[in-house]
Amino acid sequence: MRLLVLLWSLGPLLWQLRTSLLRPEALVAPLLEGNPWTLANYQLVLSGDPPFWRYLGNSTLVGLATTLLTLLLAVPCAYGLQKLRGPLRWGVGLALVGAAMFPTVLLFLALLEIARSFGLANNLLTLSLPYTALSLPLAVLLLRAAFADLPGELEDAARLEGLDLGQRLQHVLLPLLAPALASTAILVFLASWNEYAIALTWISRNDLLTLPIAIARIGGGSVFTIPYGAFAAATVLGSLPLLLLVLLAQRSIVSGLTRGAVKG
Amino acid sequence: MSTASGAGLELRQLCREVGERLLLDRLDLHVAPGECVALLGPSGCGKSTTLRLVAGLDPASGGQVLLDGEDLSERGPGERQVAMVFQSYALYPHLSVEGNLGLGLKVRGMAARERQRRIDATLDLLQLGELRHRRPAQLSGGQRQRVALARALLREPRIVLLDEPMSNLDAQLREELRPELRRLLCGREQPVMYVTHDQQEAVGMADRIALLEAGRLQQVGSPRELYTNPANRFVASFLGRPAINLLALEPGRQLGLRPEHLHLSEDGAVAARLLRREWWGHQQLLWLDSQWGTLRVLTAPETPTPREPRLSWQRQHELWFDPQSGARLAP
Repeated sequence: MRLLVLLWSLGPLLWQLRTSLLRPEALVAPLLEGNPWTLANYQLVLSGDPPFWRYLGNSTLVGLATTLLTLLLAVPCAYGLQKLRGPLRWGVGLALVGAAMFPTVLLFLALLEIARSFGLANNLLTLSLPYTALSLPLAVLLLRAAFADLPGELEDAARLEGLDLGQRLQHVLLPLLAPALASTAILVFLASWNEYAIALTWISRNDLLTLPIAIARIGGGSVFTIPYGAFAAATVLGSLPLLLLVLLAQRSIVSGLTRGAVKG
Repeated sequence: MSTASGAGLELRQLCREVGERLLLDRLDLHVAPGECVALLGPSGCGKSTTLRLVAGLDPASGGQVLLDGEDLSERGPGERQVAMVFQSYALYPHLSVEGNLGLGLKVRGMAARERQRRIDATLDLLQLGELRHRRPAQLSGGQRQRVALARALLREPRIVLLDEPMSNLDAQLREELRPELRRLLCGREQPVMYVTHDQQEAVGMADRIALLEAGRLQQVGSPRELYTNPANRFVASFLGRPAINLLALEPGRQLGLRPEHLHLSEDGAVAARLLRREWWGHQQLLWLDSQWGTLRVLTAPETPTPREPRLSWQRQHELWFDPQSGARLAP
């Protein structure tokens, strides 16, 4: 049963991997003779100009900048919201949910206009600005819930010991929020990693493209061929960093860190 | 009420209002240096509110908190030199026992060596040395409580506040810890305020008890004063288990009689019928049905009980109350 669920979830990924390793002829019909396996797709992707690693680096940079900026803004906001009482708390919460659900598609033209008039186009760091704006509502909501889960007496104890707000965050609250911070960071990073439309309109220089755009630009031998194998290879390569990230973060996502704070 | 600036902790007309709700209504209370006053009352009576106001964790809506004559109202919780033990202990779960004790000192910039010396001394005092590297999750409830206590004492506070510090422990451990807690806390220079809803604990820990209900102080005094001379019906019925019997003996007056003050006799004023007998070893509790409702009577365990006893009592044990307001009436 477990195996079945595992296969069900991993199926598409494994199929992708298989596609990336097959010769184009082997994709459409079972090969009658010869070895169907090849690394040619990977060679094709990696030998492009600029090299594929460049795109990986671009996406990583944008992702890191977005994640960092989002957390820097979301943590104080979530803390403040959690302390807020009265109707404003309700109103801001509702506004955040509304913002999180706003259809991004409606923003492209306006964002493009902004990029043009402020000269923000073709810059990887400024690309993280709209990404941050889009990720912020969800990040704030997630972190606010995490703050709410912390026992209030913990912070009271720290206040009595003379820790100011910054010290309380640094020594008590944020270490306890590490799992929530890690999972929020991963969500934000993922959103930035996969974003297509804004990157498409904001970035035109070839060496600054992010992964999704770069992958879409991979061309076949002629206009009539679709390079399935190369697409798959690029996707596999593009997923590797994410896989690594999640594996690394897994340790800090492990819950139960707050156990023992209050009566266990 | 004295207006002179005296030693110890003094609360003057302390109020706390949240929205429309009055959580604490003009509380006046004085705790002498080295004295332990228990704030006792049912949940929601304002006892924890009082503690949080003294600690500065919540803002007061009115009134003053004075320590040795000095007004603390304008000071933040970190500047009041108040130590508090929370009901949940509020230990930092990601830090070891040592880390829990040291964080406050470290943040205040105390040198590592001096810090270590103080931590060691406090751990020794509470016999926690062997647990110094453990995390809170690896400690038992009693051990966590002692670490919380150690963290409070380490800072050499000027006021010690305890918010139901033993309510998460089982009854036996509570009884065992009471003398130790008294030894560690009371009789030093600091005033101690101890919040509890358990009258046994209040009697066991405190020099005086302040009984609160619905945000108002009902009475403050030694356990004996509150028990023998209650200010009103609430005090009389809250203190003492089994609870006091209330008899609507006369129109406009209600008679309170403690279960131990009712006696079985042949010529008693009240006729009763035995409903049930609880045998407690050192005593027995009789539940009796009478024309004034169910009465509780405590007797020696060997006392023979006729099926239809009569009850008598001595005049000196009568406590009279106004049936409406519950105020104490002169006999």
